[in-house]
Amino acid sequence: MSTIQERDTFNAFHEYWDVENEQQSETLQGMTVAVKDNIVTKTGTTTCGSKMLEGYKSPFNATVIDRLEDAGVVLVGKTNCDEFAMGSSTEHCAWGPVLNPWDITRVPGGSSGGSAAAVAARLCQGALGSDTGGSIRQPAAFCGIVGYKPTYGLVSRYGLVAFASSLDQIGTCTTTVQDAANLVEIMAGFDELDSTCREEPAPALSKNLHDSIEGLRIGIPSQYTGSQNDPAINAAITSAINTYRELGATIVDIDLPLTEVGISTYYVLAPAECSSNLARYDGIRYGHRTDKPCKDLFELYSNTRAEGFGTEVKRRIMLGTYVLSSGYYDAYYNNALKTRRLICQEYQIAFEQCDVILGPTTPSVAFKIGEKADPLSMYLCDIYTANTNIAGICGISIPCGFSEVEGKPLPIGLHLQGSWYDDARLLRAAQMFQTATDFHTKVPECAQ
Amino acid sequence: MNTSLTTEEVRHIAKLSRLALTDGEIEKAKEDLSTIFEHISRLSELDTSGVEPLCHPAELQDRTRDDTVGEALSQKQVLANAPAVRDVYFDVPKVLGGDA
Repeated sequence: MSTIQERDTFNAFHEYWDVENEQQSETLQGMTVAVKDNIVTKTGTTTCGSKMLEGYKSPFNATVIDRLEDAGVVLVGKTNCDEFAMGSSTEHCAWGPVLNPWDITRVPGGSSGGSAAAVAARLCQGALGSDTGGSIRQPAAFCGIVGYKPTYGLVSRYGLVAFASSLDQIGTCTTTVQDAANLVEIMAGFDELDSTCREEPAPALSKNLHDSIEGLRIGIPSQYTGSQNDPAINAAITSAINTYRELGATIVDIDLPLTEVGISTYYVLAPAECSSNLARYDGIRYGHRTDKPCKDLFELYSNTRAEGFGTEVKRRIMLGTYVLSSGYYDAYYNNALKTRRLICQEYQIAFEQCDVILGPTTPSVAFKIGEKADPLSMYLCDIYTANTNIAGICGISIPCGFSEVEGKPLPIGLHLQGSWYDDARLLRAAQMFQTATDFHTKVPECAQ
Repeated sequence: MNTSLTTEEVRHIAKLSRLALTDGEIEKAKEDLSTIFEHISRLSELDTSGVEPLCHPAELQDRTRDDTVGEALSQKQVLANAPAVRDVYFDVPKVLGGDA
């Protein structure tokens, strides 16, 4: 049994791979990195946390996997996630829920909960995740680590199992901004296998990372702070703003009134794309197929899909099918696409006034397993992160404090958003905070 | 906008989605979807008249690759994950008749 397997008491991993050397490495060469189970790898299986893909062995690697292996990164296994990356708690995983290393009665966030928990517990140095509406940044906040979603198009999605293609983006869970920059720099850049990948050369992210930005302008939207947040979160954000002020940044009040409709827009667009993307799981060419006798093709499809998919995935497929159906397309889907343009325009105006936008990653700290039983309350976890994906800009969550709950310190995430392809500046701004604070060096008791 | 769904509507959505749901699952879905649609319907309060829909953040033009022969998966690789294979074909049960 590998050391990682012995220490993984959180169900963070679905699969542990044999690696010769699990030593910590200062460089990419030998750095231990886990892979979210919705990114295909020739090694092992790729299940997306779903019975539908139990035992699925990909005949090819995702582009990011090839690039990391070429750089000498040591891949250590596959991490559990919400089924097909749909969820904010990693409770919706066919292989059981992932536990939060800071308090095992709480969720690690989701959908990249296994990746975030693995890094928080220091089982590996980094992990790949995917972020469609906050699925890297929200678990990073709940687990006290760095979660980085690059600008849409910066990193190839080839080999990332599709959930909502216009929103999905591969990114990283790490303990430092430096590691995030190093990993994404290797993964970024044009890939002819992803037609939405940007053709321009990838920006240098790790170079000059530690140079602080003269005259950095930080925008604070009034919509991001208020009584909807835990008081401890608002206090940590106020303190983070003061840290930046002391570092010489200019604080600018900005307005993002469409923050409020972000979740509504997201839960039309993402399920619509999901219902279309997941139509491929029909039990014919790969994946689960029903054993029940079926009288026709309709029954074969319907029974296969009813058995293979979990509750949340079924719910989103139905949501998406409905908003795309005749009679509702204009009222829901088309209207959400119009709102999407307005959200982009709102960000464009904001980024004329500031360089990065600051706020909390989540309105609350990690919640109890089973606490958010109704789907809508789970969806509202992504209120501050969904618009980043809707617009396709970059975002990062970094540790900025703790809230003492029931005698346990629970991490708080600081969310910074940057403009399209302004990732280098976003990371430098995040590094400034990390250089001035030590929240990112705190580890849960289990990892001490 | 009326956002509550009827049982029949949910059955219809499940059918379009190719999901065989039990009566209990249909009722639960009806409840959950109605709550979600009540929230989503806030979108209609926003004035979007004259706004062009935005399907994709990058607004890319279609990109085609060069028309040259490249590497492809072998037949064996493609069939490796199939639930059932006969000879070099995907094996499927007899499914003629009815709707697909």
